[in-house]
Amino acid sequence: MGPVHHDGAGEPTFEPMIQIDMEIKAFVSAWRHCDYVSTYMARMISQNRSDSVRHSNLFSSAFNELLEVAFRMRHADGELACRVSRHGATDRIELTFPCVPEERQFYEEAVSQVAGSEARERYLNSVSGDLAPSREVVLLELAIDYNATFRLDEAGADTITLVVDLPLEGLPN
Amino acid sequence: MNPYLLPRFETQYDINDQEFSISGIVRPQSIDELAPSIALLKDSIDRVRGILYVNIRRLTQMNNTAFHAFSRVIIDACRARPDLKFVVITSSVVGWTTRKFGRLSGIEPNITVEEYDSEFYPGQTFLEEGGFIPILRTQTKLTWRHERTILPRHGMQPGIVMADICCGIGDFAVLVQREFEPSRIVALDHARTSLAYARNVAAEFDIKRIEYTYGDASEMLLEDDQFDLVTCRHSLQVFNNPKLILKELFRICKPGGRVYITNEKNSHCLGEPRADSIQWTYNEVAKLWAHFQMDIELGPKSRRYLIEAGFEDIRVESFMITNHDGDPQDFADVIAAWENVYAGEMATKRGDPPAFIRRFRQGFQDHIFAALHPKGYAGWPIWVASGRKPL
Repeated sequence: MGPVHHDGAGEPTFEPMIQIDMEIKAFVSAWRHCDYVSTYMARMISQNRSDSVRHSNLFSSAFNELLEVAFRMRHADGELACRVSRHGATDRIELTFPCVPEERQFYEEAVSQVAGSEARERYLNSVSGDLAPSREVVLLELAIDYNATFRLDEAGADTITLVVDLPLEGLPN
Repeated sequence: MNPYLLPRFETQYDINDQEFSISGIVRPQSIDELAPSIALLKDSIDRVRGILYVNIRRLTQMNNTAFHAFSRVIIDACRARPDLKFVVITSSVVGWTTRKFGRLSGIEPNITVEEYDSEFYPGQTFLEEGGFIPILRTQTKLTWRHERTILPRHGMQPGIVMADICCGIGDFAVLVQREFEPSRIVALDHARTSLAYARNVAAEFDIKRIEYTYGDASEMLLEDDQFDLVTCRHSLQVFNNPKLILKELFRICKPGGRVYITNEKNSHCLGEPRADSIQWTYNEVAKLWAHFQMDIELGPKSRRYLIEAGFEDIRVESFMITNHDGDPQDFADVIAAWENVYAGEMATKRGDPPAFIRRFRQGFQDHIFAALHPKGYAGWPIWVASGRKPL
């Protein structure tokens, strides 16, 4: 592996790989778009992984869940930006989408709970419960099954960026 | 037909095996889309006693909406019927399945998760130990002299997209890339030791455009209609169900593309002098492989297999590796490796008596004698066959 570059804040530099921008209207016009976008982007960024087929399958599986979360928000206007970048064994997904203040609060809480010590228990309770999986459960599952970590970035007025780091290359088979 | 409406998954219930299987890509927007499958699962549960197997080996993708819906039914059944056990069979090839479904056993003790792995193939472990790697390299070196001129007659040309299924240690893929420069090679095998070796070689020699992937040839993650040429060498003869592998090779091949297979007929190995002893031993090799559910006699049957799998424009030819292909010692080394595996391991495991093993070994030794004799001749025939997937 080459030298590790860090930005000013001390975080390693993630090299951009691929980005897809879509009008929210176009995105939510068909549910299958989640599957198409996640599958296409997974294929594109997995070519140079040690096992491209396995990596593509794992990445698509995780990314699709995030896109489904974005799809279910059903915003009428604005843009959805999906950006994937890489540092070493970690792929970073950045999803930027319109977000009203109440939703921003939900994501802030969800991201803090995912990082909490009870994440696993919360996830198991949700699986054994009656309710359909919530957005929070989707994030919990990514943290538990894919070792994903989450962060929220400001992306302007009424817009947020959900930053998800996926260390899939290091996941045991 | 609108592609948005095409179902991409299938659920089945096999009453004989008490097995409910889910295959394909299951990413519904709402659980309503799963209603028939959920009803089938509930019906399956109502019918079984003891254990219900839930087979997800061929499940490529499943979103949380679907996972929750199927899990809910299984968990409820555990609570309503403590007499019932569930065994979920996942695949080691599909990275997320064991982790995701494995959580269920933490919720209900009557749910267990078993990961299906290549070890389930009978007999193949004999041929996949690390010690066999040098001999595989020598074998490929010997066959390549012939195959490099044969391959263009079976669809090989520069710029194609190809897959080498059961790629072993990957040396064939490397030779193909150097000689023919396809635009992309996906090389798949189910032996992690072989793949690790292949990746090391690729890194060491800075070989690009070969993607080594872990997978099961009988149920690959690779999508339909992808490759101009699919090669599968010396492998159908090693599987107990070659038709299943061919079905998969057919699936991933592009319409108009070709599938290329090579196989042996070991009883036709020959040598002079000491022909009778050599002949006897290789006849016994065929019986020994059959005992372990492998058909080392498959070579000439390739044409039938390809026709029955739906291919057209079948092309078959054969070639003979001999002690005159380069260094006779290479050929002798290959035979010595066969003796070690067949007489030393497989015959022993079959429980053959010492007298049989002695005679069995003698045939290999005589073949080596013929190979190294200044006036000798030793041969190992291989059948090549390919078929075109209809447009």
